[in-house]
Amino acid sequence: MPASHPMIELRNLHRYFDETRAVDNVSFRVYAGQVFGYIGPNGAGKTTSMRILATLDLPTAGDALIDGFSVVNDPDRVRYRLGFMPDYFGTYANVNVREYLDFFARAYQIRGQRRHDAVERVMGFTGLDVLAEKPTNGLSKGMKQRLCLGRSLIHDPAVLVLDEPAAGLDPRARIEVRSMIRSLANEGKAILISSHILTELAEVCDEVAIIEQGRLLAVGSVDEIRNQARPPQNAVEVRLLDDVAGTGAAELGRWLGDRSDVKELNVNGDSVRFLHAGTPEDEASLLRSMIEAGFRVIAFGSKDQTLEDVFMQVTEGRVQ
Amino acid sequence: MSTQAPSPTLELAAPSGAVARWWKTADRALAWAGERLNPILVKETRQALKSKQFMVTFGLLLACGWIWSIIGVSSIGPGAWHGESGPEMFMGYYCILAFPLIVIVPFAAFRSLAGEQEDRTYELMSITTLGPRQIVRGKLGSSVMQMLIYLSALSPCLAFTYMLRGLDFPTILFSTLYVSLGSLALSMVGLFLGTLTAEKHWQIMLSVAWIAGLLYAFGGSIALADELIFGWGIDVLDAEFWQVNAAIFTAYVAYFVLIFYAAASRITFSTDNRSTRLRAVMFVQFALATAWMAWFWVGPVRGEDFALPVYLMMVGIHWYAMGVFMTGESPELSLRVKRRLPQSFLGRGFLTWFNPGPGTGYVFATVNLAAAVFVVLFAVVVAESFHGGEFLPQWDSDHVEQTLAFGVLFLSYVVAYLGVGLLLVRMLRRAVRVGIALAPIMQILLLLIGCGVPWVVQMLTFPDEGGRWDYSLLQAPDPFWSLGYVVDDWQSGLSDDTGWLLVIVPLTALLVFLLNLRGVAHEVRQVRIAKPKRVAEEDAEKLPPPESARPSPWD
Repeated sequence: MPASHPMIELRNLHRYFDETRAVDNVSFRVYAGQVFGYIGPNGAGKTTSMRILATLDLPTAGDALIDGFSVVNDPDRVRYRLGFMPDYFGTYANVNVREYLDFFARAYQIRGQRRHDAVERVMGFTGLDVLAEKPTNGLSKGMKQRLCLGRSLIHDPAVLVLDEPAAGLDPRARIEVRSMIRSLANEGKAILISSHILTELAEVCDEVAIIEQGRLLAVGSVDEIRNQARPPQNAVEVRLLDDVAGTGAAELGRWLGDRSDVKELNVNGDSVRFLHAGTPEDEASLLRSMIEAGFRVIAFGSKDQTLEDVFMQVTEGRVQ
Repeated sequence: MSTQAPSPTLELAAPSGAVARWWKTADRALAWAGERLNPILVKETRQALKSKQFMVTFGLLLACGWIWSIIGVSSIGPGAWHGESGPEMFMGYYCILAFPLIVIVPFAAFRSLAGEQEDRTYELMSITTLGPRQIVRGKLGSSVMQMLIYLSALSPCLAFTYMLRGLDFPTILFSTLYVSLGSLALSMVGLFLGTLTAEKHWQIMLSVAWIAGLLYAFGGSIALADELIFGWGIDVLDAEFWQVNAAIFTAYVAYFVLIFYAAASRITFSTDNRSTRLRAVMFVQFALATAWMAWFWVGPVRGEDFALPVYLMMVGIHWYAMGVFMTGESPELSLRVKRRLPQSFLGRGFLTWFNPGPGTGYVFATVNLAAAVFVVLFAVVVAESFHGGEFLPQWDSDHVEQTLAFGVLFLSYVVAYLGVGLLLVRMLRRAVRVGIALAPIMQILLLLIGCGVPWVVQMLTFPDEGGRWDYSLLQAPDPFWSLGYVVDDWQSGLSDDTGWLLVIVPLTALLVFLLNLRGVAHEVRQVRIAKPKRVAEEDAEKLPPPESARPSPWD
C-alpha cells in the first residue's frame, strides 16, 4: 500500500443502542504523522467511535479501517497496529510499573531482549523509570495517565487512539503529555485524540472533527472549519477618543446594532465589543465606515476565533 | 582500643568447565521457557505471590495441617507403632486439602475473569494480540499453579499417613488424583462462568450460585474420599477398575475440552468463527462415547438389554443439549467467516455442517443422532445374524424392536423439538435482536408446553377411575412420559400405543425438518468470498504461497 493511504478511516460508521444513535454516519480519515482531534460535548459519540476503532465494539453499519484493515473483519491485524488509551486506567493490584508494562509487552508477543528494551524505552519516554518498582495502584492520577499512555505504546504501534489523555492532569503534566503526543506524531504515528480541553487540542492537532449527537458537524483544520461552517466571525473591540461620558460608545452601539454582520454587541464605558461576521477586508471596510460616520476611533482590535469559539459556533449543546 | 581483624571473605570456587557449561545451558533453557510462558500465568503468579488471599489461604492450610498432625499424633499415641491409624489421619488431611482445591481455587478462577471484566482490565487485555484460547489457558495455568502449591504444601502430610499403616499407596494416589482433577475441572467451569456476563448484578448472582455449588462439590468430594478409604477401596488389579476409570477419564477430557472451547468462544471476537471448533469437539465426544459403548457391549457388558438404550439415551441427551445451543446461533455469517468456507465438493459436502449457523447446527445434531440409531441398528443386526459367539455378544431377539423403537422415537423427539425451537427463534429474530440464550429458553418453554398441556387436558377430561394416570396417545408431545412408556413396554413387546407413537412422532419430526429446510438451504448456499486486497497483500508478504501447492480436496 502506498504510504499516503489513511492510517485511520471511518466509513459511514453507525452505532445504535436501541433508539439512541450514538454514532450516526461518521466518516473521516487520519494519515501518518497527523494528530487528529475528535471533539464534542459529553455523550456526543466520541468514546463509542474510539471503542469501535479499538475493536472493543462493533458498528451497527459502516466500517472503520486501521492501516487498511477492517476492525470488524480483521480485528487481529488491527490490534498489532493500534495503541488504545481509554478514559479509564485499568491497573492491576499487586503489580508494579515494570511488571505491568512487561505483562502487556508479553501480551503483544514481544520476547527476550526486545521486550526488556521496549519496557525501558516506554518508561523512559513517559518518565516512569524512576517509579519502575512502585505498585501501579499507588500511583497518582497523572502517573497512571502516563502509565496508560506507556501501555498503549509498548508494542510501538503505527496508530494511536487516545481518549481524553490529559483529563485531570495539572498544567505541567498537560504540557508534557502534549509534547509527548507531538513527538509521537513526528515519529510518523497517526494519532486520534479526544479531549474537552479545546485550547490544548488546538495547539497539538493538525485537524479536528466536531461531533454532536453522533453526527459529524465539521472536519478539517480549525481555519477550514471556521470557513466552511458559517461566515467566519471575529471578536472585535473598538475604543473611542475622550468618551468619558460614554455617549459616543452608546451611539456607536446603536449604529452597529443596525448592521446585520454584527452580533453579541456589548457597550462598556468607552469601548464596544462585538462579533463581526466577515473577512478581514470586511473589517477594514467597517472601520472606514465608522470613521466616515464621525466616530473618533482610537483602537480597533480584532482577533481570530479560537477552537473554543468554533466549537461553540458549530455545536448547539444538545444531548441525547 | 583493639583493632578488629578483617572478616574472612568467602571465596566460591569457580565451577569447572563442564559444570559451567551445564549451568549455562540450563540457564538458557530456563530463559527460553520463561519467554514462552503464558503472559497471564506470569502476571497472575506475580500477583498471587503478593496477594493477601493467597498468603492467608496458604498460611491456613499449613496451620491446619500442623494442628491436625499434632492432634492426630497425640491422640494415636503409642498406638502408632502397632495400630492402623493411616485412614483417619488421611481423611483429616484430605479435608484440609480438598477445601482450597475444590472451593478456593475454582472460585478464584471464576473471580479472576469476572473481576477483570468488572475492573475493565479485561478490555485492555483483549485488545492485545493474546488470543481467547491463550487467555483461558493462562487463567487455567494460574489455577493449576495455585493447586500445585497447595498440593506440595500438604504432600508430606499425605505421605506420612502411609507410614501409619492401614492405607495403601494406590488409595492415597488416586484420592489425591481425583481431587486434583476435580479442582481442575471446577476451575475450568469457573472460568466459563466468568465469561458469561459482565453485568455486575448477574455476576453477584453467579458468585453466590457458584459458591453454593462449590460447597456442594466439596461435600461430594469428602463423601467420595470416605467411600474410597473406608468403603469401596481401590483395587488396581481389577480390570474393571481401569476400564471404568479410563471411560470416566475419556468423558472428563472430552467435556473439559468442550468447556475450554466454550469459554474461549465466549470471549472470541463476535465476527470470528465461534462454532466450528466446538462442533468438532462435540463430534469427537460422540465418537468416543460410541467407541466406549461398543467396547462395553462386546466386552464386560456382553449384550445386556440396557446397554444400547442407555447409549441411545446418552447420545440423545448430548445432541439435544448441543443442538439447543447450535440452533441459537446467528444465521448471518461474517465476511471473516465466509473467507474460510469450504468450497471443494468434499469440503462443502462434509464440512459445511461444521460452519456456524442455526440451520447447519440443526442438521449436524440430527445427522449425528441418526447415525447413533444406525449404529445401534447395525449392532443389533450383527448380533442377531451371528447369534453371539466368542467375540460378539448374544442378543435377545425379543428386544430388537423395542430398542429400535426407542431409538427412532428419541431421534424424532429431538428433531421435532429442536426444529420447532429453531422456527420460533427465526420468527422472533425478524422482530427483535436476540442472542444465543433465547434458544435454551425457548426449548424450556416448549418442553413445559409439550409436557404440561397434554397432562392438564388428560387430568381434566379423564374420569378419576378411568386411567387418568395411565399413558394415552394424548401424551405424544411429552417425550419423557412417551419414552418411559416405551421402556416400560420392554418385557411385553410393543403395544398399540407405541405403534401409533412410531407413526405420529416421526411424521411430525419429518414435517418439522422439512419446514426448516429453507433456512438450512440459505445457510448451505453461502460461498467463500475472497480476502480483501490488503489482507491478501499482507498474507503474501508473510507467507508466500508455494509454487507447486496442490489444493486440499477438503478445502
